[in-house]
Amino acid sequence: MAGLFQILWGGPSGEFQAAEPLVGTDGEPLIIPIEGPSVQTENICTRPTAIDWDSDGDLDLVVGNFAGSFYLFTGLGNGKFEPTPQPIMSGDEPLRISGVHSDPFLIDWDGDGDIDILSGSGSGGVQWSENTAGVGKPPQLSSFQTLIDPGEQISYNTPTSENDLTGPASSTRIWADDVNNDGKLDLLVGDSVTLISIAEGLTLEQFKQKHTEWQKAVREASAEMNSVSDDQEKLQEALKRIQSLYASKADLMSEERTGFVWLYLQK
Amino acid sequence: MKRILTSALLWFIGSTPSFALTFEKPIRLEGGGEPVRVESPGYAAPCWADVDGDGLKDLLVGQFRNGKIRVFKNQGGGKLAAGEWLQADGEVAEVPGVW
Repeated sequence: MAGLFQILWGGPSGEFQAAEPLVGTDGEPLIIPIEGPSVQTENICTRPTAIDWDSDGDLDLVVGNFAGSFYLFTGLGNGKFEPTPQPIMSGDEPLRISGVHSDPFLIDWDGDGDIDILSGSGSGGVQWSENTAGVGKPPQLSSFQTLIDPGEQISYNTPTSENDLTGPASSTRIWADDVNNDGKLDLLVGDSVTLISIAEGLTLEQFKQKHTEWQKAVREASAEMNSVSDDQEKLQEALKRIQSLYASKADLMSEERTGFVWLYLQK
Repeated sequence: MKRILTSALLWFIGSTPSFALTFEKPIRLEGGGEPVRVESPGYAAPCWADVDGDGLKDLLVGQFRNGKIRVFKNQGGGKLAAGEWLQADGEVAEVPGVW
């Protein structure tokens, strides 16, 4: 089930046990509760980070989600958690990243003694929310600001090899640590990217022309599908046409969806 | 006090951020001489932690497909070994319901 929080318990010799969902003190798997269909994005694509957020000596879970907000599952020690999470706030409003897919990483980023929140985003880049509370005080989080701009968006009709990439693309997932041991925090950024190769025998110009024509055909077929949504027979015909168009894309290009890990060393 | 003075100076000269760090251009990490990459459909999620207890932090990279995690052991000197799937209970570890 999506949205649960899995744990691989570690053993004394460095081994791990198979993943199992974390449960609350009610014995049920931890999950962000949803109150209606309009907020279902609150409990999918959840990303947990374990940290002692409330400074009581127990690890808590700060989690992100597709919606771009954050929740706190309060830890009670020994892997036990309050079953109902609390939204993490910025003033009177829930803290949200710019974009979707919040990806919390908690660390004292500005060196003032309290824990700040860094996050990746579905749009790429890295954002951070400064905690201005001070040491040992309840967090007071500022709105997110950009730490690293999202990378240049790759056009879908531009051939892209991995050698063309100069930095992270979209769907960034982050980690902060002093990777090169120089005393300064660095950033590791994972991403998601689609590499595109032109089909054999096509020149770049031919590819661009054919791809533009293909996109136009897809738009027309989609519009047709929407216009006949009440007529099952015509709807099936429109669906077949779209499927056929997508199958024909292999005549133009091949795609490889993958992701890389990038390191930003702090100057 | 130094930070307060710096913030005041930045405000005075019209810069907006009160605290900013600068970074070198991003480097794509390699393991075993090849770029660290995840299986389709992507979504690489890095973690930097010492999983083999040798005192050096290693690179772990989660991915969307089957919720698998690859470990790139730190060989020191800025080198990472080729990736190996993280094992759990003697099999390739999978985190179910990655979505």
